[in-house]
Amino acid sequence: MAQYTMVERSTCIACGACNPVAPELFDYTADGFAFALLDDNEGVTEVPEDLIEDLEDAFEGCPTNSIKMADTPFSCQKIKAS
Amino acid sequence: MNRSAEVSDITIIGGGPVGLFTAFYAGLRQMSVKIIESLPQLGGQLSALYPEKYIYDIAGFPKVRAQELVDNLVEQMNQFETTICLGETVMEVLKEHDGVFKLTTNSGVHYSRTIIITAGNGAFQARKMEIESEEKFQNQNIHYFVQNMNQFQGKKVALFGGGDSAVDWALMLEPIAEKASIIHRRDKFRAHEHSVELLKQSKVNCLTPYVPVELVGDEKVEKVIIKHSKTGELEELEVDDVLINYGFVSSLGPIKDWSLEIDKNSVVVNSKMETNIEGIYAVGDICTYEGKVKLIASGFGEAPVAVSSAKVLIDPTAKMQPLHSTSVMGEAEEVPKKAKVGVN
Repeated sequence: MAQYTMVERSTCIACGACNPVAPELFDYTADGFAFALLDDNEGVTEVPEDLIEDLEDAFEGCPTNSIKMADTPFSCQKIKAS
Repeated sequence: MNRSAEVSDITIIGGGPVGLFTAFYAGLRQMSVKIIESLPQLGGQLSALYPEKYIYDIAGFPKVRAQELVDNLVEQMNQFETTICLGETVMEVLKEHDGVFKLTTNSGVHYSRTIIITAGNGAFQARKMEIESEEKFQNQNIHYFVQNMNQFQGKKVALFGGGDSAVDWALMLEPIAEKASIIHRRDKFRAHEHSVELLKQSKVNCLTPYVPVELVGDEKVEKVIIKHSKTGELEELEVDDVLINYGFVSSLGPIKDWSLEIDKNSVVVNSKMETNIEGIYAVGDICTYEGKVKLIASGFGEAPVAVSSAKVLIDPTAKMQPLHSTSVMGEAEEVPKKAKVGVN
């Protein structure tokens, strides 16, 4: 099933856990906060099949649950800050 | 027992870098200090999430390893006596009729004249396996932290996780345990290549890709049932102990219920680091004010402000502006170095 991802910026704590496990999916802005690389954190680009396991690692490893995963593009959803 | 004997001048909630520096500064201002920390270790995010990473924006350090910064802060703090309560989460804070705060944690009660919240992003807790039977064995032979690897001598241990510290634990277990198994849901470990290489060469039983399905036993876990992620095939492992290393999650948790003014998960303070409740201050990443920058460096700057505000509240004859440490420490050389540490 297609997967989409984005980072909830309001809860990201810039801990640096996501990039090492999913370097092709997440990077950090100059101030250290994470964003999804595929589409500049829009969450509308399908994550390639071979990166799904990396995505799951980053999703599970995020200490503030800021990495969001969904099977529909995020433009179709409302993200509620947790 | 006379309660006044146990009332701290300042209780610091959160033993991260800013909490540690706050404790030092409170000592410098000759106040009695207690730190309450939810994890069984000090250092907050730095020790829990990225102990090996370099930090480049601490004044006076061109670069410093996160754990080294924590170790230095602990050494600095230990120039004064500090009571440290590890593995305790503050659940409730109540102001008693005489103005003293009663802090109720998951395992006890503390009294304090003032409180400084340095809880960062809230209390860290080990991430759970999230399978039904996990709760049943919570205080038995399931471990989320390891203080002493030797407790697993001659035991059959199943370790769940695939990150750096899970692999490190597995390598430490190998020579001690009768049988060490590491179970990870994918074939690739998320650890340093060198550690993974050592793991492959070791006698550790690597079970990948497997996920936990059930923990089975009467009083404690006697066997774990795991499922192959691809084939769905079930396997049983006999165990004496189960170690879970799935990282950490943080949440503001009960702090939200203490009647503090909260804005976007942060505690609102004024320029004296005072919250809306007299006697409660907040510094570091957990506090917010106009222009707030969430950095360790800013937290270090906020700590003396909060401590001095608390000092003046307790002793109105004290000055907000402290003496320089060069003057104070000269006089304080005789102060015994000790820290009382308790782990629940």
